Amino acid sequence: MNEGLVVVVRAIISFFSLLILTKILGKEQISQLTFFDYILGITIGSIASEATVDLSSRIWPHFVGLLSWAILAYLMQYITLKWRYLAKVIEGEPVIVIMNGKIMDNVLKKMKFRVSDILELLRNQGVFDPNEVDYAILEANGSLSVLKKSEYLPLTPKDMNIEVKPTGISTELVYDGKLIIENLTQMNKDEKWLMNQLKKYGIKDVSEVFLVTLNDAGSLYVDKYDDNIKKIKDIGDYKGPY
Amino acid sequence: MRRFLIYLIPIVAMLIFLLIMISGDFLKKPFSTDDDIAESISDLIEAVNNEAWEEADNKIIGLELAWKKVLFRVQFSSERGEINELTTSIARLKGAIMAKDKPGALMELYEAYSHWNDLGS
Repeated sequence: MNEGLVVVVRAIISFFSLLILTKILGKEQISQLTFFDYILGITIGSIASEATVDLSSRIWPHFVGLLSWAILAYLMQYITLKWRYLAKVIEGEPVIVIMNGKIMDNVLKKMKFRVSDILELLRNQGVFDPNEVDYAILEANGSLSVLKKSEYLPLTPKDMNIEVKPTGISTELVYDGKLIIENLTQMNKDEKWLMNQLKKYGIKDVSEVFLVTLNDAGSLYVDKYDDNIKKIKDIGDYKGPY
Repeated sequence: MRRFLIYLIPIVAMLIFLLIMISGDFLKKPFSTDDDIAESISDLIEAVNNEAWEEADNKIIGLELAWKKVLFRVQFSSERGEINELTTSIARLKGAIMAKDKPGALMELYEAYSHWNDLGS
């Protein structure tokens, strides 16, 4: 028995089975996962890894286990989509942990959250003083959504009655030295226009640029291969191997 | 076409994986005259029962070669335990035949047959 070869074949089967099953299950982002989804992911991953290296049993029972967990997860997703009550029981629901600037300590106890945990989550949101918070909601996935008191909200052009042009999203015109004609046409521009713009940056050919983007407001972002930075800032706090 | 391939490729891949995983029983079956393990074992039982040690000596070499052939096919769908047990059984059987030990050889032959039956199922 060539164990190495068998492990390679089993790894290919487990890897692609896992890939296909997770694609069917959806949940594109880790941040969307609830605690149960997280545990589910670990369990399914663990079954796949055992299927690869546990040669003492056939791969078939592992695969059946993998498939069963994936089917159950899919069923659970379907049921929670259709039956909101059950979704609340299984996935939990958002709870208000700070209301009108006051920490709801009873809610925290119920959620098994310490005040220090909430303060940490607030800091993650860029809030270092609980005084600034009007409402804080602990979402089902464990993240904290914060609404600051009006006096601490950032000033917007609307507050100042300033009219601003919509910036829209940026579209790549050049990527890795290659011109993307479709995007240029989509932005109602042509190659001649782009070259005129690039000349202003001292660029003669698109192969000299790494990235060029254009947003709806007409603002161009240009990044050349030659960055011309003589001294690169080092943000490391300790001398490492590189 | 691309959309069709996006669905087709995972389905085909899953079918291939399923075939590899459950092919054990099929791949155990003899593909030629020199890889029939079950028949080799029953021939050996007969030879040992008749105490035809020279014939048993020849047959055990055939069984070893047949097992090597089949092992390559079934290794992806079988458990290592059964594979190793069967390999060990054949090695012990060789010794028992060499020593002309009828009870020992019969014990090993029936054990090998049991491992063969359990392999991949």
